[in-house]
Amino acid sequence: MRRKQYLSLFMLVLGVALLVAATTVGAATSATQKASKSGIKKGGTLKLNENAEDFDFVDPQLAYRTDDWAMLYTTAMQLVSFPEKTGAAGSQLYPQAATSFPTVSKDGKTYTFHIRPGLRFSDGSPVTAAAFQRSWERILSPKMGSPLGVNLDLQDAIVGGTAFLAGKAAHISGIKAKGLTLSFHLTKPNATFVSILSMQWFTAVKPNTPYDDKGINVYPAAGPYYIKARNPGHSTVLARNPFYKGNRPANPDQIVFTPNVDIDQSLLQVKAGQSDLDIGGVPATAAADLAKTYGVNKGRFFVGATSCVNYMAMNNARAPFNNVNLRKAVNWAIDRPAQVRLLGAFAGKRTDQMLVPGIPGYHPFTAYAIKGADVAKAKQVGGSAIASAPTLNVIHTPTATSTNRAQIAEFNLKQVGFKINDVPTPATNYYQVIQTRGTSYNFVTNGGWCADYFDPFDYLNVLFDGSKLQAANNNNYAYFNNASFNAQLAHAASLSGAARAKAYQKLDQELMVKYAPVVPYLISTNRYFTASRVKNWIYSSYFGSPYFNALAVG
Amino acid sequence: MTQFLIRRIFWAIFLFLVATIITYLIFWVIPADPAALAAGKSATPADVARVRHYLHLDEPIWRQYLRFLWNLVGHQQLGNSFVTRQSVNHIIGQDAPVTASLVFGGAIFWLSLSIPVGILSALRPRSILDRVSMSFVLVGISAHPVWIGLILSYLIGYRLHITPIVGYCNFFPGGIGVQCSGPVQWAYHLLLPWITFMILFAALYVRLVRANVMETMSEDYVRTARAKGASESRVMIQHVLRNSLLPVVTILGMDLGLALGGAIFTESIFNLPGLGHEVINAYNTADLPTITGIVVFATVCVIVFNFIVDVTYGFLDPRIRPS
Repeated sequence: MRRKQYLSLFMLVLGVALLVAATTVGAATSATQKASKSGIKKGGTLKLNENAEDFDFVDPQLAYRTDDWAMLYTTAMQLVSFPEKTGAAGSQLYPQAATSFPTVSKDGKTYTFHIRPGLRFSDGSPVTAAAFQRSWERILSPKMGSPLGVNLDLQDAIVGGTAFLAGKAAHISGIKAKGLTLSFHLTKPNATFVSILSMQWFTAVKPNTPYDDKGINVYPAAGPYYIKARNPGHSTVLARNPFYKGNRPANPDQIVFTPNVDIDQSLLQVKAGQSDLDIGGVPATAAADLAKTYGVNKGRFFVGATSCVNYMAMNNARAPFNNVNLRKAVNWAIDRPAQVRLLGAFAGKRTDQMLVPGIPGYHPFTAYAIKGADVAKAKQVGGSAIASAPTLNVIHTPTATSTNRAQIAEFNLKQVGFKINDVPTPATNYYQVIQTRGTSYNFVTNGGWCADYFDPFDYLNVLFDGSKLQAANNNNYAYFNNASFNAQLAHAASLSGAARAKAYQKLDQELMVKYAPVVPYLISTNRYFTASRVKNWIYSSYFGSPYFNALAVG
Repeated sequence: MTQFLIRRIFWAIFLFLVATIITYLIFWVIPADPAALAAGKSATPADVARVRHYLHLDEPIWRQYLRFLWNLVGHQQLGNSFVTRQSVNHIIGQDAPVTASLVFGGAIFWLSLSIPVGILSALRPRSILDRVSMSFVLVGISAHPVWIGLILSYLIGYRLHITPIVGYCNFFPGGIGVQCSGPVQWAYHLLLPWITFMILFAALYVRLVRANVMETMSEDYVRTARAKGASESRVMIQHVLRNSLLPVVTILGMDLGLALGGAIFTESIFNLPGLGHEVINAYNTADLPTITGIVVFATVCVIVFNFIVDVTYGFLDPRIRPS
């Protein structure tokens, strides 16, 4: 019988041998990986994970997502930008490639920048005004198929933009680049123009950068880093720009992004030192334990504010929420602390206003029950209209968190007497449903907004200017449309400086106290955990992430 | 043989058409608008319309499908991703080697384990080995690969530091943005995914091999071989294994195709940038060209594997050669 088993034993031994060989190799490699050093100095490779997604584009004129921009910031050289500083100082624009803020003509329509001499791309070529002209042309060129510029009506903002977008002109006539002087001729005064330029779209690109609707992956950049290699879905590698001579930090020799990592596995990797940081954050369930073990903002577990406000929207265009008292009643009824707890420890700060800290015009106030639902007050404010209200279609995506959020909100609404119809909707279709005018939803639980640029216009005008309502793709999915408020928004947008901030502060408060079109409940934070070797954490609330170029692993 | 091949080719074309048509129809039924997704959060209806036209989504579905077929047959192009605008050919070219590494490596692992264990169990039914292996079968069939993968990576990768927790290295040195490469690192990084894959499939194959061997050993021709004085090794190799492993070859051919589906879980857990991972991302963003491209590729793989099985079958068993 023994001889019968030779074959099977041989295969068993072969399998075991393969296992042993592989694990031996593993042990040797692990030992090598553990031999890293700590301390704040330049050098090393910063290994970053990105859970559940990859950059969709790294072409600065096609990229739009927050993670895209946080990465591109390390490669970017912009006319104006944010400094690598924590807190309020980090949200103050400074002239980066420009020698100073622009000079503005008396009619407010011509902005002139002077570019600092000596700036160079990573291939050694000089940065001139033409580099910034090209970024505008790549944003608006029909050959790029980029929807981004027109989303903000940039073609209407700049003289010649519309003709260029239509393919009727080789260049945008309103942008003049001569040597190191760059001028923009606007169609009308625009107080947000300099803020708009802080977006990553307007980074310097070489004047001969091609129009490519698929986007470019590897190209010379003028910031502290450039993209050395990019294999979508696999990895993105940044290397230090050898020609960058500015003051911005450039600590790691290389920054490597690994996308699409499972969030729980990613945390294990960081704990084990196999990765330095997950730029998508930590699992909500892990935050409390990490804080207990490592403390908050004391070296490894970090909590940072974002520019994002989470809110629930009521459909102001249809019954019952065309009744302002019912909208206010809902603001009293929603249990904000419960919604925040749902997102785990350190998820953010409760709020009942739309502007967030750091945005000009932000001034904290409390108009509703932000310490918990006040059912009695909600019933009192809503009165008999609650009982006669039609059944509410409550729409949410079917993920676990969204479903839980909706369940809590529905419980709160039922407490005050509303009748509920729960409508889970796939994420691929969700925004299409809620952003189409005439939609049948009454209450949407997955709302939120993060700053494109640090200006109250990007919150209040973009989200609540009813004069901009269109057939589909509305950011104003509360369908709030009040002529008086629209006029005030337009007026505030035309102001500048302190007057502008004051006007928006008033509008932020008036929006919620007088009209209550939505239920803001959270100014969210991001939670990060780093490997023990990571030093020099400087956090940007604009990107909601650390400045990757400042992190040190050497 | 020629007639057999022609028949198989026509069958392959038919399968290919059915698979792609179904994929298109399913996508059409899903209430998503890729143009709106691609246009961004502030796009006006005109912007969305412009993007829709740019992506040819404003055409009737039959024309989109014919365009897809023409590009595939005439230009060998699977189109471009709606989301990243990359060529789907390129995406598949990048991802397929990863999935192939997982599936074929996993197949070697599961066969290396299941064939000897299955045979030993069959030779000694109700022994301790048999009971242990049947318990393993029960666990392997019952446990989800995600759970198995998480447990393995936690215990072996995180607690014991024996393997990487997640990640992938290319087999061949070099490549764009590659941080590690070479056969040794490749195998080292794939060890846990292979074991995860192995546990699921080995459980099925141990039971299959065990049942086949036991059944074959009771056949008349085995008894006759022994009666003629053939050695036990000759009886086992020439008569028992050769016959009892035939169904394994059949199932293996089909499972290699099915494994592409199973790879979704394993690739997600271990962050292997393969086709399974890609198709999940594509689904989440309603990226029809990528989904369709991967479905086409998987269909071709299944057809090819089945063809290989048919041919191999003929070599293993002369009674069923096509001629």
